Amino acid sequence: MVVECQGLSKHFGRTVALNNLTFSIKKNAITGLVGANGAGKTTLLKILAGYLRKTAGEVRVFGERPFNSLKVAANTIFIDDNLALPATLSIAEILEAGRLFYPGWDHGLARRLFDYFSFNPRQLHKNLSKGKRSTFNMILGLSARSVLTIFDEPTVGMDAAVRKDFYRALLQDYLQHPRTIIISSHLLKEIEDILEEILLLREGQKRLQLSASALREYALGLRGEEALVKRFIAGREVYRREHFGKNSLFVVLRNSFSAAERHKARAAGLEIMAVSAEDLCVYLTSKGGRGIDDVFNRN
Amino acid sequence: MVIFATDHGKPIYLQLAEWLEKEILSGNIAADERIYSQYQLAEMFNINPATAARGLNILVDEEILYKKRGLGMFLSPGAVAMIKKRRRKQNLERLVRELVEEARLLNISRAELGELIRGAHRGEKGEKQ
Repeated sequence: MVVECQGLSKHFGRTVALNNLTFSIKKNAITGLVGANGAGKTTLLKILAGYLRKTAGEVRVFGERPFNSLKVAANTIFIDDNLALPATLSIAEILEAGRLFYPGWDHGLARRLFDYFSFNPRQLHKNLSKGKRSTFNMILGLSARSVLTIFDEPTVGMDAAVRKDFYRALLQDYLQHPRTIIISSHLLKEIEDILEEILLLREGQKRLQLSASALREYALGLRGEEALVKRFIAGREVYRREHFGKNSLFVVLRNSFSAAERHKARAAGLEIMAVSAEDLCVYLTSKGGRGIDDVFNRN
Repeated sequence: MVIFATDHGKPIYLQLAEWLEKEILSGNIAADERIYSQYQLAEMFNINPATAARGLNILVDEEILYKKRGLGMFLSPGAVAMIKKRRRKQNLERLVRELVEEARLLNISRAELGELIRGAHRGEKGEKQ
């Protein structure tokens, strides 16, 4: 395990950003950190990278407390939208600096990506557009080949083509040089395929951690006549509930029905549907299972 | 309202296992030949290698593939027959049952249904002129 947290909490004044988190992250796996805005993703990643100090609990990265740890700093790269890079250096000079700074740096890869994305070597980092800046930061993140590579919302501002290229490049480089990678995103759909593990946060707490390949089977949707649906789901935790039509109900819940129960449900006239990973994540990470329709339903 | 396409929620490792079966059925891999590694599949389909491994392991569990330590996975000599047998049971028999139920619902006679199937075999369109 590269990362281990036990009861980890972080407070900012009265605000609880992380609340009693316990989880670990596997070595040489790509883990996706998913949650709504404000769920605590960035705070968690900054604690792991050693940028922030925890308030309570335990956190270990490479077996050490990351805050003020030389070992963690030397083996970790943290890429986000607010990378503090020297304002006077051109982006070509920043790549040169990366070569000196990161022991695993692959300058050939850095140059090839730099050319592929048609960067002007003389440009200053602060003058890059939002999308170009994210793309450049991604080049730093991949070329550094850090043992622990953290991307916090890496595709902000990138267009669809560059986003695709980024995830392809990430996977290709990972296949050739396996390492521990953590990516946060609220767009699960675009990272789902390349993930091995998923950690879902909701309001600073762990909602779920599971293998990415299991996510699509984790839940199912049931739709049908309200009374019938209700009878079927009695005593089970419902992640999402939507009314529509004349007394019809759609619910999403844990896929824990036996084949016999499923057959019975179908025979009774209920529709059983797969729930996409992305939809499930939205349901699991929304506050108290509420949806936007609840704002408009005042009856 | 939420509407789900029937296939888009299907786990990737299951889709991958089906794709591999199609490759095997179409004769692209010979008996005792090495099959794609999890890393090759990951690269081909842009998926995590752990997911690819899960797809391969389905076929190992069914003994369609066998492992040689350190060398990879290979196609079992009886693989094609095994896949055909299971698919016949799992897919074809279910499809035929559904077909017959639908025909009953539409009051289509056995003879008419037989003619439809023969027509499909000859490559005709389902609709009558």
